[in-house]
Amino acid sequence: MGPGRARRALRRLSLVLLAAAVALTAASCAAEHPLDTLTEAGPDAQEINDLFFPVLGVAIIVFFLVQGAIVYLAVRYRARRRAAAGSDGEADEDLYGDEEYPEQVHGNLRLELAWTIIPTILLTVISVFTLISLVELNRVSAAEEDLRVTVVGQQWWWEFQYHLDGDTSTPPDIVTANELVIPVRQQVPLEITSRDVIHSFWIPRLNGKRDAVPGRTHPWVIEADEAGRFMGQCTEFCGLSHAYMRMYTVALSAAEWRQWVEGQLADASPLAPGEPGYEGQEVFLANCANCHVVNGVTDTNLDGVPDGPGDYAGTGDFDAEPITSALLAGAAPNLTHFASRTTFAGSIFDLYEDRAERVPYLEASERGYLNRGDLEAWIRDAPERKANDADGARGMTAFPGLSDGEIDALVEYLTTLR
Amino acid sequence: MTTTSEPPLQLTAGEQLVRPSTSLGVLSRPTGETGWKSWLFTVDHKRIGIMYGAAALLFLVVGGVEALLIRLQLAVPGGNVLSEDAYNQVFTMHGVTMVFLVIMPMAAAFANYLLPLQIGARDVAFPRLNAFSLWAFLAGGIFLNTSWLLGGAPDGGWFGYAPNSGLAYSPSHGMDFYALGLQITGIASLVSAVNLITTVLNMRAPGMTLFRMPVLTWMLLVVQFLLLFAIPVITVALFLLSFDRLFDANFFNVAAGADPLLWQHLFWIFGHPEVYILILPAFGIMSEVIPVFSRKPIFGYPFMVFSGIAIGFMGWGVWAHHMFTSGMGPVSVAAFSLSTMFIAVPTGVKILNWLATMWGGRLRFTTAMLYSVGAVAMFTIGGLSGVTHAISPADTQQTDTYYIVAHFHYVIFGGSLMGMLSGFYFWWPKAFGYKLNERLGKLGFWVLLIGFNLTFGPMHILGLQGMSRRIHSYAADSGFNLWNAVATAGAFVIAVGVLMLFWNIGLSRRRARGAPPIGPDPWDGRGLEWMTASPTPTHNFDREITVTRQDEFWHRKWGYDEDNKVVRVAAADDVAHDGSAADVHLPSPSYWPVVVALGLPFVAYGLIYNLWVTAIGALLILGGLYAWVFEPPDDPEAHGHDDGHAADPSGDAGNGETGGPSANGDGESANGDGESADGAGGRELVGSAAPGGPSAEAAEDRP
Repeated sequence: MGPGRARRALRRLSLVLLAAAVALTAASCAAEHPLDTLTEAGPDAQEINDLFFPVLGVAIIVFFLVQGAIVYLAVRYRARRRAAAGSDGEADEDLYGDEEYPEQVHGNLRLELAWTIIPTILLTVISVFTLISLVELNRVSAAEEDLRVTVVGQQWWWEFQYHLDGDTSTPPDIVTANELVIPVRQQVPLEITSRDVIHSFWIPRLNGKRDAVPGRTHPWVIEADEAGRFMGQCTEFCGLSHAYMRMYTVALSAAEWRQWVEGQLADASPLAPGEPGYEGQEVFLANCANCHVVNGVTDTNLDGVPDGPGDYAGTGDFDAEPITSALLAGAAPNLTHFASRTTFAGSIFDLYEDRAERVPYLEASERGYLNRGDLEAWIRDAPERKANDADGARGMTAFPGLSDGEIDALVEYLTTLR
Repeated sequence: MTTTSEPPLQLTAGEQLVRPSTSLGVLSRPTGETGWKSWLFTVDHKRIGIMYGAAALLFLVVGGVEALLIRLQLAVPGGNVLSEDAYNQVFTMHGVTMVFLVIMPMAAAFANYLLPLQIGARDVAFPRLNAFSLWAFLAGGIFLNTSWLLGGAPDGGWFGYAPNSGLAYSPSHGMDFYALGLQITGIASLVSAVNLITTVLNMRAPGMTLFRMPVLTWMLLVVQFLLLFAIPVITVALFLLSFDRLFDANFFNVAAGADPLLWQHLFWIFGHPEVYILILPAFGIMSEVIPVFSRKPIFGYPFMVFSGIAIGFMGWGVWAHHMFTSGMGPVSVAAFSLSTMFIAVPTGVKILNWLATMWGGRLRFTTAMLYSVGAVAMFTIGGLSGVTHAISPADTQQTDTYYIVAHFHYVIFGGSLMGMLSGFYFWWPKAFGYKLNERLGKLGFWVLLIGFNLTFGPMHILGLQGMSRRIHSYAADSGFNLWNAVATAGAFVIAVGVLMLFWNIGLSRRRARGAPPIGPDPWDGRGLEWMTASPTPTHNFDREITVTRQDEFWHRKWGYDEDNKVVRVAAADDVAHDGSAADVHLPSPSYWPVVVALGLPFVAYGLIYNLWVTAIGALLILGGLYAWVFEPPDDPEAHGHDDGHAADPSGDAGNGETGGPSANGDGESANGDGESADGAGGRELVGSAAPGGPSAEAAEDRP
């Protein structure tokens, strides 16, 4: 194959590759990306992208300038075969053994200064905008008495403790898991912490991430411009099921949000024999209540801890009394309003098959179609579905002793917890 | 132009050192130039460099297999090639292996082999210490990898964030192997850094002033200083972690009042300079390769040197950009954001100087040149994406996503590894006496380049679409399916490219048998390393070289005519030494570096399993050091050798290397001319050098 033909073939190949790349990019844009950082839905994500896109633009320009220069130099200054040596083809030595030397240039002070100073100026401009952005992002517009949520990471799920009056020093009004429900177009200050290892709270379409570090409380804010359900993913490596530590932020209209709050504030009440779910409640009390709280049922004094000697005293307070929970971190998701949520097990399973998206959030428990398969499998053998070192008390244990009938009853009981 | 070649370390010749005539009851020094023992006990910087390189390539395969496992697991959503636990071990060990056992030793290979050659020295300052650092590194690397067979590899990430790396959350012995294994490789790096700094500062050929040193030597020097100061920080951090895990020390126990961010700060104060430890050697290599194949001197030499130094300094002030989301206050975030942005300036200067070197050149696209230019292009991408997360608000979106994975692979793979592959192709003939096959090499380059971009290019998109790092699985409806499949395909293309390198080595080696020798200077090189035979003779140079300017060797071959055109003034073969000198004495091989190094993993295993094993390791180390100190300087009887001087004048008592009979292949003759050519610092030093002139003939080798 002659060099000309090879070059033509190469050119054709590169065109095909380019076309394929364009097609693939287009295809990937069309797909759904629930975690996309570039399609912002809140003012903070907007602020970040307003900074990122111009910088990315500058980077892309520099990219083309440098790569273009490399290609230009490679083509323009490539040593070419001399006529004599060209005939016998590929012997590199013929080409490289020649005695031809270009002009020897050792440097140029002006050029050096130019390409030291110009990037410096460019980066100074970028850094000014970065600083402005940083100030903007650290501004908390919410008032002291507005809603404030303590976000607690734990292997491998998130707990949200609502302080409706903004006072985080008092016990939370609502404790829920996996789904942070907020009113739309209202900045909600968060206080992020962890009960075990470091996690990171991240709802990409609303704001950047912030680490949840045990023993520390990190302020952060979240705000959505539109109602919707925004996916999140723990982004600090936190052990076995790091990938399975997902969460949602659900933004509701102000009226719907108040309705949700009313529902969450109500405690459950113990079922009497004969009521639907009673058998399940008994199974629950016998097997689950050591870790999981159902306000008013397993935790009658409403201190956030299953009833029993010695109480789990809330987050961040590591000098508290001994933990009664079987879990290393001391807490499992509060299940008082389990069925009002749309996901479970660290948001890796939908509680209502596929319909969560189509049914309004508040009506999911009434109109949704229960994802019974995953829920039963989860109760029977959680470590099988989500690696969690249950032996080391880091996650939900398996219940091989439960009969099918008991699991059915348990599921029925759980669906009563709306 | 006058030159000052006043050596920094003036030794008084003739001062007699009492040399023990008996071996004080310990073994005499090993002899022999062939066979496995000659490699095991060697103190020759070249053999040590080659072994460093071979070990790095071996671990490249290990780390590469781990990479392929990661990509297989992530090829489709919900992958089940690996369990969660296995995945965490594999990605942890991929990072640890590639950083500590591939790129660092590869840089050490070039440093060991080339640094003494480039400054015209016989060997490094402390040859036995050099051997020790190799074996300690190897001991650490093997120790780390034995964890696979002993209950599980480290699973807390190469960054080992506390408290996830603690006993409660990582109950297997994996993180103990991590902490102790990196401690051992850290000892190797630290020892090597001290050795090479001393070598550069004290053992340069006459006239080789600091600002005549090749850019590679400069970058390696900067890297050794970075190691010297960075390794102690990780050492402290690893000790804290080990004490926590082994002895309940509570340094990172939150329940006992610890702040886990302490680990992050310690780790990244080491970890960010580490990035420059990985990249600067490649920058040095590219700065050697591009001028040779552009047929021009490096453009803006002082700027190349000072930008490297600037990167070395600024590299210490940017560590917390790994922690923008960790909860630091806004002032810290702002400060580290700015410092990170401005480190792009010296880096950009380097890129533009490489391009300016090519400008107006006569470019010869050998495999080495392709890899160097490829590294410039790929590193540029990594550098630019780096600026997009130096702006900390954007980093809060990007950190711990695949965008970062893409970024640092463009820097470390596209920059460091490609730069070093360039070095392999470039200096291979110098080390082994034959070139690697160019045709296969070029093909391999394109395969690797395409595979690399196919693998890591899409990761930019994945990251911006929100794919987290270190997840063993992603949901089918996350929208990550397509680009993950592409990346996995790309990873296998990379594997083919790497296999082609190994194939090339085998093929070229076979073809080289019986082929005519390559000659000292196959590429029309510039540095002193080309001024001796290929493969480099054990004693490096036949005579001491007096340096009068940068690119001394090139200037001896080429001069300028009246039109300022470059004309040949001498053939390379006439200028270069032919390696025939038989009167050079070199430090003898030694048993003890390998013994001392062998003790280290025993200590580590013992700390994990049984303290009695630690005692055995401690005995090996102490006994080895004792024997090392009292080792006879050489064994004059072994060769029936008359050294020519009654005692060695080197006075290199600290090391005990006081010269001896030649250890090279043909060295059994007397050291007749009285020139001390001891690699261990016994170089006889000259007070002044011949004044340098523009033409090549001006400088003569010292008689």
